[in-house]
Amino acid sequence: MASLSEEVLLVVKKVRQKKQDGTLYLMAERIAWGPEGKDRFTVSHSYSDIRCQKISPDGKAKVQLQLVLHTGESTTFHFANESTSRKDWEAAKELLQQLLPKFKKKANKELEEKNKMLQEDPVLFQLYKDLVVSQVISAEEFWANRLGGINNGESAACENKQEVGISGAFLADIRPQTDGCNGLRYNLTADIIESIFRTYPAVKQKYKENVPHNLTEKEFWTRFFQSHYFHRDRISTGTQDIFSECARQDEKGLKSLVTQGVKNPMVDLLSLEDKTLDEGYGISSALPSTSHASRTVKESSNFAIIKRFNHHSAMVLAAGSRKRDVPADQASETSSTDGNSRDSDFFQPPLKKVKLQEAIEYEDLQQENRPKTVALNLKKSDRYAHGPVPLQSQQYTTSQDIINSVNYIKHEMSNYKPNLTQVLSSAAASSAIAALSPGGVLMQQVAQQAINQMVPTEIQAELKHLYVAAGELLRHFWTCFPVNTAFLEEKVTKMKSNLERFQITKLRPFQEKIQRQYLSTNLTGHLECMLQAAYSKFHIWQTRRMMRKT
Amino acid sequence: MKLNIDGLLVYFPYDYIYPEQYSYMLELKRTLDAKGHGVLEMPSGTGKTISLLSLIVAYQRAFPLEVTKLIYCSRTVPEIEKVVEELRKLMEFYAKETEEVNNFLALALSSRKNLCIHPEVSSLRFGKEVDGKCHSLTASYVRAQRHGNPNQPVCRFYEEFDAVGRQVPLPAGVYNLDDLKDLGRRKGWCPYYLARYSILHANIVVYSYHYLLDPKIADLVSKELAKKSVVVFDEAHNIDNVCIDSMSVNITRRTLDRCQNNVDTLQNTIQRIKETDAAKLREEYRRLVEGLKEANVARETDVYLANPVLPDEILKEAVPGSIRTAEHFVGFLRRFLEYLKSRLRVQHVVQESAPQFLKDIFDKVCIDRKPLRFCAERLQSLLRTLEITDISDFSAVTLISNFATLVSTYSQGFTIIIEPFEDRTPTIANPVLHFSCMDPSIAIKPVFQRFQSVIITSGTLSPVDIYPRILDFRPVTMASFTMTLARTCLCPLIVGRGNDQVALSSKFETREDFAVIRNYGNLLLEMSAVVPDGIVAFFTSYVYMENIVASWYEQGILENIQRNKLIFIETQDAAETSMALEKYQEACENGRGAILLSVARGKVSEGIDFVHHFGRAVIMFGVPYVYTQSRILKARLEYLRDQFQIRENDFLTFDAMRHAAQCVGRAIRGKTDYGLMIFADKRYARADKRGKLPRWIQEHINDGSLNLTVDEAVQLSKHFLRQMAQPFSQVDQLGLSLLTLEQLESPEMLKKIAQIAHQT
Repeated sequence: MASLSEEVLLVVKKVRQKKQDGTLYLMAERIAWGPEGKDRFTVSHSYSDIRCQKISPDGKAKVQLQLVLHTGESTTFHFANESTSRKDWEAAKELLQQLLPKFKKKANKELEEKNKMLQEDPVLFQLYKDLVVSQVISAEEFWANRLGGINNGESAACENKQEVGISGAFLADIRPQTDGCNGLRYNLTADIIESIFRTYPAVKQKYKENVPHNLTEKEFWTRFFQSHYFHRDRISTGTQDIFSECARQDEKGLKSLVTQGVKNPMVDLLSLEDKTLDEGYGISSALPSTSHASRTVKESSNFAIIKRFNHHSAMVLAAGSRKRDVPADQASETSSTDGNSRDSDFFQPPLKKVKLQEAIEYEDLQQENRPKTVALNLKKSDRYAHGPVPLQSQQYTTSQDIINSVNYIKHEMSNYKPNLTQVLSSAAASSAIAALSPGGVLMQQVAQQAINQMVPTEIQAELKHLYVAAGELLRHFWTCFPVNTAFLEEKVTKMKSNLERFQITKLRPFQEKIQRQYLSTNLTGHLECMLQAAYSKFHIWQTRRMMRKT
Repeated sequence: MKLNIDGLLVYFPYDYIYPEQYSYMLELKRTLDAKGHGVLEMPSGTGKTISLLSLIVAYQRAFPLEVTKLIYCSRTVPEIEKVVEELRKLMEFYAKETEEVNNFLALALSSRKNLCIHPEVSSLRFGKEVDGKCHSLTASYVRAQRHGNPNQPVCRFYEEFDAVGRQVPLPAGVYNLDDLKDLGRRKGWCPYYLARYSILHANIVVYSYHYLLDPKIADLVSKELAKKSVVVFDEAHNIDNVCIDSMSVNITRRTLDRCQNNVDTLQNTIQRIKETDAAKLREEYRRLVEGLKEANVARETDVYLANPVLPDEILKEAVPGSIRTAEHFVGFLRRFLEYLKSRLRVQHVVQESAPQFLKDIFDKVCIDRKPLRFCAERLQSLLRTLEITDISDFSAVTLISNFATLVSTYSQGFTIIIEPFEDRTPTIANPVLHFSCMDPSIAIKPVFQRFQSVIITSGTLSPVDIYPRILDFRPVTMASFTMTLARTCLCPLIVGRGNDQVALSSKFETREDFAVIRNYGNLLLEMSAVVPDGIVAFFTSYVYMENIVASWYEQGILENIQRNKLIFIETQDAAETSMALEKYQEACENGRGAILLSVARGKVSEGIDFVHHFGRAVIMFGVPYVYTQSRILKARLEYLRDQFQIRENDFLTFDAMRHAAQCVGRAIRGKTDYGLMIFADKRYARADKRGKLPRWIQEHINDGSLNLTVDEAVQLSKHFLRQMAQPFSQVDQLGLSLLTLEQLESPEMLKKIAQIAHQT
């Protein structure tokens, strides 16, 4: 096997599997285990097949590691080296922890993709059932040359993959747990950290500045949770807190957001009132004064909470759309250089007009007056969706054209006047009609009874499946030619046997079934023809090879 | 479509019509025919504005001599712009149908801040600054000075307008605020003054309440509007408060200090002018002897709108001798100021009536009632004479003089309360003199008297009979319309209990109760899990919301809510709230869903609509009673009881319920819209509260949903939301809540329509 060229990341000796001593290898793409004294692996799992690893709890005598595969199978390794078992186990676990997530996404995506393909394409699904489930060929073979397509599509999909937003409650999900001795434990996952960074860029900045030069990662997060920044309702007391700067930055960001004002004039509370009362008029006393000096501690803490929620929600929302905003920002910057965007009046009216029109619209009071169209009646929607790409748009007619031409024809028809002097003779006409009637010279083909009238539908369906399956196998077979590598050689022989197996397990029973029902055995003739052609090709190839070898 | 409303041909710019719109137009037509006033309540989102406009425009075209002008007053700038856009639609329809050139002129008027195109002035942020700066560039004497000194800065837009803008009237058409600005830019004319000038001959004017109800502005802008106008107050559920606000004055120590400075400046200026240009002062004196005769003539011929600050009697007389010369007047102001200062030096709360105040001022500093009444007018004259450029600096002394005039003019309907400190902070001395108006009819009286038809309309005016009482007028029509619905698209629920059977209420005794707060939190939490997109929650007051939010935070309820939706909270800072609001809409738009915590009576509850997915549920936490301990409110309640025989509790409940209705009504803005209305307080179930909700909400509250637990409410909501999420097309509505012309004309439909209007 090609495993020798693989990069081996970790080798752990004295690992037992199924009561057998051996060596565990962790390589770049798979984990493998071979029994002692043999140079091949009896166990080999690609990381992408592993769903998760399970570990035995601390302090248990047996130090074990279990790998659970996506298929549900599991493999257990027992670290048996007395002195270093725990260390080995730690190392393996750590490494796996780093490796698995990398492959997880890929594996999941592949699985998902395969699933999706099968669900979306009933023909493929049938094929899968016919070939893989009945074990004519293995699943890997089945996917081998389809996944190419997937991967190509994937690379394109990857680029504009949809950005996943952030849960609004990600901070709430960090449930602190008491650890029994007056402490709190926070469980942080990579996702949460990612969320924090995306939502609060200021924290990310701090992280970059301080970790790992000044603080360890753990210390950093400890401070984060202790900081007043995290507990916004506590009033800031000291300034030694590294996050107090974050708070200030946030404050600034919020301020700038506020001063930017809102784009939608319908929600701008500042310009809502046309004419505010002058100072000193009106019954203003109903509102309690809100100057900061007169606030009690509780009030200002409440105030901070409210501010925080607004800010948090705004940041979460912004984090979700930040990616999109970046180019827009640049665009606005460039446009601002030409001096126009200074004057807000130039840009405001369109949005405002649209909003105003929206606001006064009564959709149900209006007649729906879209242009008249021809209703699209799809018999096979998938054909519509995957139809040929139009190369020349002129070939296509708009619905208006169709309507026009229909009208035109109608018009023509109504004005049709037979030109009775220039008509065919009656004899010629009747012979032409006879030729075009069923049984006539020109309609001989049609005269034959169509297959769909002779054969019951279930047989037809079965035949179809057979055709599809055979086609698939033959496709595999023929792609092997010209056979110029060892791999292809191997494959072509395998395909040949696959074909034979197909003939025996699928085709024969079908033929027998047809015979039992006294139907024309001719049905499978073409199929056999195709198989025969493949066999003869194989024979020719094989005899040539023999000749070359001898 | 073209409708026949009681013999009047009405062009309606849609192909279909709601039955209630037809009914509304019928009532409106009757009101106009009778040349009287009307109170009409029609649910929001049923096309009230377009019905009003269609009918009144048709009326104007049919009887151009009977109704010459429509004055449409709305509350907010976006509302004003919406009305103009609807009008534009109507006018386009007219043009299309009649195929003749329309000679209608319709325009919106707003403050300088929204209309100014002067590059420097329009960049100022606050309306007051814009007004002040504008005045300093356009005042007559500033421009006069320019003749001698070409360097004197003036506004070129105003100059241009003044030179040529008045010669040709504005061409017919519909002008929104932006259209006016565009026109102004093109022609180089000041849009604000152009609009102010043009409203005199426009057929339709759309502007805000203040231009009619605030005497200080009305006197400048709306004085000369034609008597044969129809005035419409849209969104008028708060009209009494607008009236009261425009007539009330608060004086603090700071006001008095600034006033002192003003008076000093006046004194110095007078001194200077006396040395350089004594003739000017003599001229002023002469004019004052002549009295305000000219104004009097104008008012007698009924050209002017009466000004409650400048009562009729004043106009008949000359300014009293004691304040006729400038120095005497300044001295008079000084004395008055000193007196006010002494009054603010109190240790306990004082409440007195206007006559008591006048008697006291006469006893203490020998100031008579008569010169006080002329104070406002005399000051204006003086400021004009002294050629003060920046009027906004003199707001303090203007305030004091207005107060002087008001207090000496009205012996009834006002009260004076002097508080040495705020109730919440008894240790900090912060004396305030409240001169508060208790009778909204004073400010609106000139409007009712002058204009032939005044229509008061809103989505929530229930109970409609209270408005004529507190505004003191006799309407010819009072009607409340329901919303005809093909599907019940609103679902009012009264949640009276928590799942643990604790009674939910925001009443004072249980306000701090943790059980109630927790149950409120649970309600919001559960709702956030079942309601799609946006939820708006209203609290009874800002302080209450702060406390609840804090304790929800401590109990971890907010964290759980965050799992379902983002949370945005209204703050007292308008800019911050605007941002939160926009983010809220963004979150609803992108599918994440959000909750907006807001305050009844706040800016959001008054001015922002939550259409469609922006508000699928509104939760009203508690009954939004006004802060009842305020002395001003107590005085007003007393006054209402004595003068209008309205019991305190009736008024308080009415006031609370109209705000609650206003809040929950924000969610439904049309028949295709749908939303939950959750009243989370057991008191809503009581007949006296429930009965004061608008009829279109009331009729959907069934007896089964009067005292629900949180769980029951969630179940009902789920069911409702699932039903509403089904596709709903125009066809479903046709014939029931949406009519074609043929359907409208069928006799059985006409019979049905007659029942829509609920006469009172």
